[in-house]
Amino acid sequence: MSTNFHEDPVYREEFITAYLRRRLTADLAEQWESHYLACDDCFEEIRATELLIRGLGEPMVERRRVNDVTVLRFAQGAQLLASSLELSELSNVIRLQNDSKVLIDLSRVSRIDSTGLGVLMNCYCHAVKNAGALKLLNADAPVRRVLSVTKIDSVLQMFEDEAAAIASFGLPQA
Amino acid sequence: MNFSGEDLERLRPKVRFKVCYDVGFFCPDVDDIVQEALMRFMLAAREDKIHNQAAVGAFLNGICRNVVSEYRRRNMRDEPMPEVVPEPPGKSIAESELFELRDAIAQGMEQLSERDRRVLRAFYLEEKSKDEILKQTGMTDENFRVVLCRAKERFRAIYLERTQHPGNSRHS
Repeated sequence: MSTNFHEDPVYREEFITAYLRRRLTADLAEQWESHYLACDDCFEEIRATELLIRGLGEPMVERRRVNDVTVLRFAQGAQLLASSLELSELSNVIRLQNDSKVLIDLSRVSRIDSTGLGVLMNCYCHAVKNAGALKLLNADAPVRRVLSVTKIDSVLQMFEDEAAAIASFGLPQA
Repeated sequence: MNFSGEDLERLRPKVRFKVCYDVGFFCPDVDDIVQEALMRFMLAAREDKIHNQAAVGAFLNGICRNVVSEYRRRNMRDEPMPEVVPEPPGKSIAESELFELRDAIAQGMEQLSERDRRVLRAFYLEEKSKDEILKQTGMTDENFRVVLCRAKERFRAIYLERTQHPGNSRHS
């Protein structure tokens, strides 16, 4: 067991991740515990993996449900640019969760470029295909200007008030 | 077989982690369980009950398991519904510990490139296999290993920095 761990870091990481997720069988977990209790190197790797998973797991996009509408908001200030991680996370959140009625709160978005607009439109198409809609909330002036210049605001409805936005999906006001 | 006080202190965080893994980080008796396990281990070592040097980990693990089982039995006897429940999966860092580490974790994340983060997320959070990731990203096996090892090295340094200089992490 120990030979494999020390020879193959990928194998060890898969093992550590399974252990932290409590997916190892009782026997394997016991073997692994017996190993790391005697091996400083592997124990440090477990703790490092925990921290890394925590870092990776900090959500960039907060997601909550109001009736059947999914409201998305960036956890911190964000820029929806080609190079930004927030953009791919936003896209993933919408596509992977298969949300159809989506309201994106842009209050923390300071900039958006053509890739960001493209992702918003893709998400919109995804929502429409699922018989839903995608709308925007609280866009700042610079973002609003870009949406207006590109006439995307004629496709994506924008709101200043969350309750009104939720109601516009055809539901009673939250 | 003799273990010095220093040896025992090196074992303590590992035993603590193992105990927390079993009884949960919110268990108020973690430190007592750890102390009991280490004490039994030290006594066994003094009495030369550890015959196989290569099986020290398994021996210590057995002691921890026994102490945890006894603790649970005692709790069950005292209270019909024990308050101590195992942590849910993926919640193995205590929140207080996490609070101290938050800045260090954020700094560690900032040092990762966007591609690295994407790859690591796929591996750790989306639970994709190495082969799937290689296929999706077009990376070579070697590249993948570099990304993984580089990230691990940074976060291992964060962990070691914290354990060697506790209390510094929030100011680093």
